[in-house]
Amino acid sequence: MRSWNIIGKRRWGYLLSAAVMIPGIIALVLWGINFGIDFTGGTLLDVRVARDARVEEVREVMGGFGLAEAVIQQSRERPREFIIRTESLDEATTARVTAALGQRFDGVEVLLAERVGPKIGRELRNRAILAVSIGLVLQVLYITWRFRSTRFAMVADVALLHDLIVVLGLYALTRKQVDSSFVAVLLTVIGYSINDTVVIFDRIRETLGQRIRATFPELVNRSILEVLVRSLTTGAGALMALAAIYFLGGVTIRDFAFGLTIGVLTGTYSSIFVASPLLVEWHNWSERRAGRRPEAPSQAEPVREAVQVGGPRPAAARPGGPRPGRRRNRR
Amino acid sequence: MRRLWLRLLIVVVLMLAAIQVVFSPIRFIGWTPEWQSPRIGVNLGLDLQGGSYLVLEAQDTSTVRATPEAVDAAMRVIENRIDQLGVAEPSLQRQGSRRIVVELPGIQDPERAIALIGKTALLEFVDTQTTQLPQGARWSADGTTVTLPQGTGTTPTLKLQKKVILTGADLADAQASFDQDTTEPVVNFQFKGRGAKTFEDFTGANVGKYLTIVLDNEVISSPVIRDRITGGRGQISGGFTDIAGARDLAVLLRGGALPVPVEVVERRSVGPTLGRDSLDRTLRAGLVAVGMVLLFMILLYGLPGVLADAALLLYGLLLLGALVALGATLTLPGIAGFILSVGMAIDANILIFERIKEELRSGKTLRAAIGGGWSRAWSAILDSNVTTLIGAIVLFTLGTGAVKGFAVTLAIGVTLSMFTAITITRILVDATSAAVRPGWLRFGAER
Repeated sequence: MRSWNIIGKRRWGYLLSAAVMIPGIIALVLWGINFGIDFTGGTLLDVRVARDARVEEVREVMGGFGLAEAVIQQSRERPREFIIRTESLDEATTARVTAALGQRFDGVEVLLAERVGPKIGRELRNRAILAVSIGLVLQVLYITWRFRSTRFAMVADVALLHDLIVVLGLYALTRKQVDSSFVAVLLTVIGYSINDTVVIFDRIRETLGQRIRATFPELVNRSILEVLVRSLTTGAGALMALAAIYFLGGVTIRDFAFGLTIGVLTGTYSSIFVASPLLVEWHNWSERRAGRRPEAPSQAEPVREAVQVGGPRPAAARPGGPRPGRRRNRR
Repeated sequence: MRRLWLRLLIVVVLMLAAIQVVFSPIRFIGWTPEWQSPRIGVNLGLDLQGGSYLVLEAQDTSTVRATPEAVDAAMRVIENRIDQLGVAEPSLQRQGSRRIVVELPGIQDPERAIALIGKTALLEFVDTQTTQLPQGARWSADGTTVTLPQGTGTTPTLKLQKKVILTGADLADAQASFDQDTTEPVVNFQFKGRGAKTFEDFTGANVGKYLTIVLDNEVISSPVIRDRITGGRGQISGGFTDIAGARDLAVLLRGGALPVPVEVVERRSVGPTLGRDSLDRTLRAGLVAVGMVLLFMILLYGLPGVLADAALLLYGLLLLGALVALGATLTLPGIAGFILSVGMAIDANILIFERIKEELRSGKTLRAAIGGGWSRAWSAILDSNVTTLIGAIVLFTLGTGAVKGFAVTLAIGVTLSMFTAITITRILVDATSAAVRPGWLRFGAER
């Protein structure tokens, strides 16, 4: 294993984050989130027609009901399936629309019919926002309590914010419809992001507790490398499972897998390239303020906080061990 | 190593118990066990077997308010109507003060069901004296004016007080049949005792005038009274295009009118084809996902990977067992929650195994490394599961419909998987380390 200097090259990480986040934020501001019928109210019909048809033909039929503005999508792998989204239609109109489609295309099968009244839509949206907010607050409270250190907790929160902006931004950029299950996506992404950061931060505190003579950035870098295999392995495992769901699962579950995939990617990335470097920035900044050289070796303040995971590791106290690269960090 | 045998025994017992709960291969008649072909006893959600989910909201009108009592009464009426639909396991739930959630699994014709459930079905027999109203004429909600259907040549509206003689509540029975003379579909009805008397008196006193039959303020027919009608029998004809229409009206009349009108504010229907398709696809995706994860663990860690996989499979069994035992419903998002919890389970084992690998590299003995791996990885595993559990509980409390299914599976899954990934894997690793040479258990560390 080579010893990468991730902390030393942290600016590249910031640059990549900015490159993903800024277009996302612009899209969020300009276009906003594309709320699905769950949140706006409306009717969604997923139909399979009996003969080959084009979107324009379906639109003609819809036009007969004054619904030419409907969003009509043709399924890529099953060209006879169409998803039609309109304003909220009452049951009678829905029945007439279905009948008209059947007449035009020699028969129709309704695979899915959903109608959400505008009032319910507003309610579902408020509930979703409430659920995400409460979940976010509780999970943040938990890690704050868990770290017993504002510095670690706040940096973890920034990484979390980073992940949420990335996910929301990509949804805004791709104009993907956001429905009730998106709440589940967000809360899962929050959980994953926090979890991944906690694992790395735990290791950082453990390393700090060992009183090894090295600078703070070196210690952080070393901790990252130590848990890197775990982070990547878990991430890869999760991505494999998600890929299977994305490619083999049905349309409904696909959006779910899409959101989670982004979440796992950015969650893994941010704990290594955002959270840990920010910890170093904060350390350097407070050292500089205290008039010390930031890169000087330190047994920094987190030492007394590193009680959670158990005492210093006897294994690391032994000289050597078959870990090339580790030694380079020692002075 | 007596304790080790005991622990292994617990694992085997758990596995057998879970298999029995999930597949029930052994049936007990009295106390004699009997083999039967195994099947999975888990309930499928509407999104997997097809069906309709409706949210009805009671509406205030100028005459009635949607009080909790009225909504309760409406619920009973709707329950009656659903019984007539012949749905296998319908579910009816009150939500908040004026909403009713109806679930109709496996229903073939949701349009008809919705039309039946949502109709107020207030039948009124109105004294219109010498005025005959055309079919389709509508009374205003306050009952003072009638709007005539287009193209009848007369003025579109008419001032006419609605004088109700009898209502659907006075009916004892209603049946659909065909009229013997015209072969037109009709509904024959029978008034209850007091209603029958009122009907007899009214018809006796108004021979030659019109009795108009109104359903939900819309005129069905306006026949002339030819004679005093005794016995409380009558017939509604006209307004039915086929016998099914007459049959539906009879169902509605027998079940009674809704005390308050309801509106369908949310409706989700999944056709049986899509449900079946989703189930097949998602199961296939889930199997491939889990299979890849299992293979991944073996490739990474060798024999310990196999042990982790065994624990993972036991976890799958236990989760299914828990779902069956709790009578929970498996939904599409539920399967997603399951796959996600598989991810959490392997993460726990990866955390532990990576630790053991480090300990081995630092020159520890296998036993010490295993002990160290478990004790050091514990807190990180707990953290990740607690944060996920918080999310799941919030989703369960505030989520709706399908999202709730996701939350339930995820919450049970996270709790169970933490147990299997930590405890069961440990038992298996300890047992194996006692049985094989340490060289077999390197956890991916180089020799």
